[in-house]
Amino acid sequence: MTSVTAARVFSAPGLWRRFWSRSNERIGYLFILPSLIHIITFMFIPLIFSFFLSFRDWTRPAFTDAPYIGLKNYEFLMGDRRFWQAMGNSVYYTALSVPLGMAFSLVIALVMNQKLRGVYFFRTLFFMPVVSSWVAVSIIWLTLLDPSVGIVNYVLGWFGISPINWLGDPRSAMPSIVLIAIWKSAGFNMVIWLAGLQAIPHELYEAAAIDGANRWQSFRFLTLPLLAPTSFFLAVTGVIGALQVFTPVYVLTRGGPLDSTNTAVYHIYRRAFQEFDFGYASAQSWVLFAVILVATLIQLYYVRRRSREEIQY
Amino acid sequence: MSIRTRLSLLLTGILLLVVVGSVSAQDVTLNVVGFVVPLEEQGTPLDEAYKAFIADFEAAHPGVKINALETPPEFDTQLLVDLAAGTAPDIWNQDASTLSRLIDGGYVLDMNECVALVPEFNLDRFFPSVLSIHQREPGGPIYGVPNDFTPMVIYYNTLAFERAGVEPPQPGWTWEEFVDIAKRVTLDANGNNATSPDFDPNNVVQWGFRVRKWTFEWIYRVWQNGSDVISPDGTTASGYLDSPESIEAITWLRDLVVKERVAPPQDMLAQMVQEVGFLTRFLRGDFAMFDRGHWELVGLRANEEYEPGRFSIVGQPQNAERATVLYASGFVIRADIPEEKKLAACQFVEAATDRGYQDTKVLTGIAISANQEAAAEAIDKSADPVIEQAFYDEVAYGRAPYGSVYAKWPTIEQRLDTMMEAILAGGDINAEVALAVEEINRELSR
Repeated sequence: MTSVTAARVFSAPGLWRRFWSRSNERIGYLFILPSLIHIITFMFIPLIFSFFLSFRDWTRPAFTDAPYIGLKNYEFLMGDRRFWQAMGNSVYYTALSVPLGMAFSLVIALVMNQKLRGVYFFRTLFFMPVVSSWVAVSIIWLTLLDPSVGIVNYVLGWFGISPINWLGDPRSAMPSIVLIAIWKSAGFNMVIWLAGLQAIPHELYEAAAIDGANRWQSFRFLTLPLLAPTSFFLAVTGVIGALQVFTPVYVLTRGGPLDSTNTAVYHIYRRAFQEFDFGYASAQSWVLFAVILVATLIQLYYVRRRSREEIQY
Repeated sequence: MSIRTRLSLLLTGILLLVVVGSVSAQDVTLNVVGFVVPLEEQGTPLDEAYKAFIADFEAAHPGVKINALETPPEFDTQLLVDLAAGTAPDIWNQDASTLSRLIDGGYVLDMNECVALVPEFNLDRFFPSVLSIHQREPGGPIYGVPNDFTPMVIYYNTLAFERAGVEPPQPGWTWEEFVDIAKRVTLDANGNNATSPDFDPNNVVQWGFRVRKWTFEWIYRVWQNGSDVISPDGTTASGYLDSPESIEAITWLRDLVVKERVAPPQDMLAQMVQEVGFLTRFLRGDFAMFDRGHWELVGLRANEEYEPGRFSIVGQPQNAERATVLYASGFVIRADIPEEKKLAACQFVEAATDRGYQDTKVLTGIAISANQEAAAEAIDKSADPVIEQAFYDEVAYGRAPYGSVYAKWPTIEQRLDTMMEAILAGGDINAEVALAVEEINRELSR
């Protein structure tokens, strides 16, 4: 009798759907709860805290010893030559690593998009550095780039090139880190490019071929324009990530030689955890955030304007 | 058994429990950092010494339990977090190079309180110059007491000196003698030294000295020339770092690399020590001299190239003054230690700086005991009494590390390191010093 009643109740489509959707909703919330707690505790609260901290002189352990100093940290920062030099280094790193990294990974993606034997194996191979730890990768590269016993100089020696002090020379240290970053991120970029490439309908290439387009023309006038949303995504995420480069600098060069690889985040780290100036380091973090925000907004503006122009055209 | 008897027994039991409870409430546990060796050093004589000391202390002080904690990596940062969270250890071994900000923040107990609490805690046991590292002014509060320390001295390789046919330096030597000796022990592949017109600086096989950018390895050169890098009140670098005496000291140091050619350029040095570790190179005689503290004895004696008598030490050369720096560590007690723990903490620090434990310093070889009697007795017990005596003699010329004096020293030190790196890379001395002065003054004015 009870089961019959229950069956009737649940057979009512609206009620059942409502119950099911609500319980689903609750279960959904339950699933995201651990991540939500993690994000709130370890990201959102410290983020807000660092904002308030940036208006205080916090050089001692207890927060009660951190007097409010208004905008003084920001005022000091405006004339801090070393911070802006570090910011310049980050911009230099970004300007090199993002476009070169995108171009390099696009080439790999174009090859990996072909119907070749063993293509899945090579895709996995190229993706492996992405899942490797930055620290482990940096230590491996430290050995490879060793001026005396490193394999890179050894190979260059076959071509008569004298040993290069890759990480010890101010001129080559940052390009060396860029090189490593390009190699490390190539797999991730490749996967995104591949997704973009595979979303392009094959009929377009057939139509282009019928119209007499060669491979280069197909790539230049079909593939590249149709990959614009993908390039935008990679450029934005690449710039955001590159401006925050830290681990390879920490492991490989510690900001040297002659501060040539002292990037903004490494500079902030030193200020906070080696010089114990947390208030000022927080102000630097927020300025870095503002720089990243502006860079992203500029990219957004540029892409939207271009989209509008294309629609009008 | 009557109800009354049962009731009496029950009450007696409760009373006993209360008494026992109140007794155990008097027990204290001290959280102490600095008396545990890393995992790989377990079973070593030092490990045994730590364990014996803690066991002896607990036996002599019933009711006090020592919770010995291993020093975590990046301890300075960890300590800041712990102090902020209220979870700092009760006692820890603090490097004097970062002591000042803890003093300024009021996080360290004035040890005069301990002296008042523990009658046998006699401060005369310490080297006065080392104890003064923990004081801002004579007779004032004492922020921790010294555990061990080392002056920075010159290590020299006896084999390298023999090869060059040069007599080893003697205490009280001058800058002029230093340069002369460094030149005569710097040899090229043909056996010519740096005083010879045939000397080939591009083919050196034995360097006279090692010069690096690190301020902790050169600040006393400025002192030796009668100057300083910042004002005594820590408010400005103008008139100090850019004084003619300081510029002269920095130039003298730079010239060891670029003019006298007795020390390799920075990039060459980096490459050399990447190939083969510096200590190995020193013991082989690739370098005749270098600056370092007592702790380097451990690495040198553990090196596979080590042979007894291969090296010795001598005090710093002098110019206007004879000076070196004393790098020290000391035991500090957190200022907010609960009252019920204070006596036990003071007793622990007293015991840790007394002869029994301090006599184990000779086991480590890392540093000199801050206890004068223990240090004096360690000379004869050590592996090389001549070396130990030379360290001991240099103490009289030692000055406090600036990290124990100025809270902003870590920031200033970074600027000085960068300045020296640029100078050693060929930068203009006056321009680099002017830039450093400007930046340091900006930092000090905040």
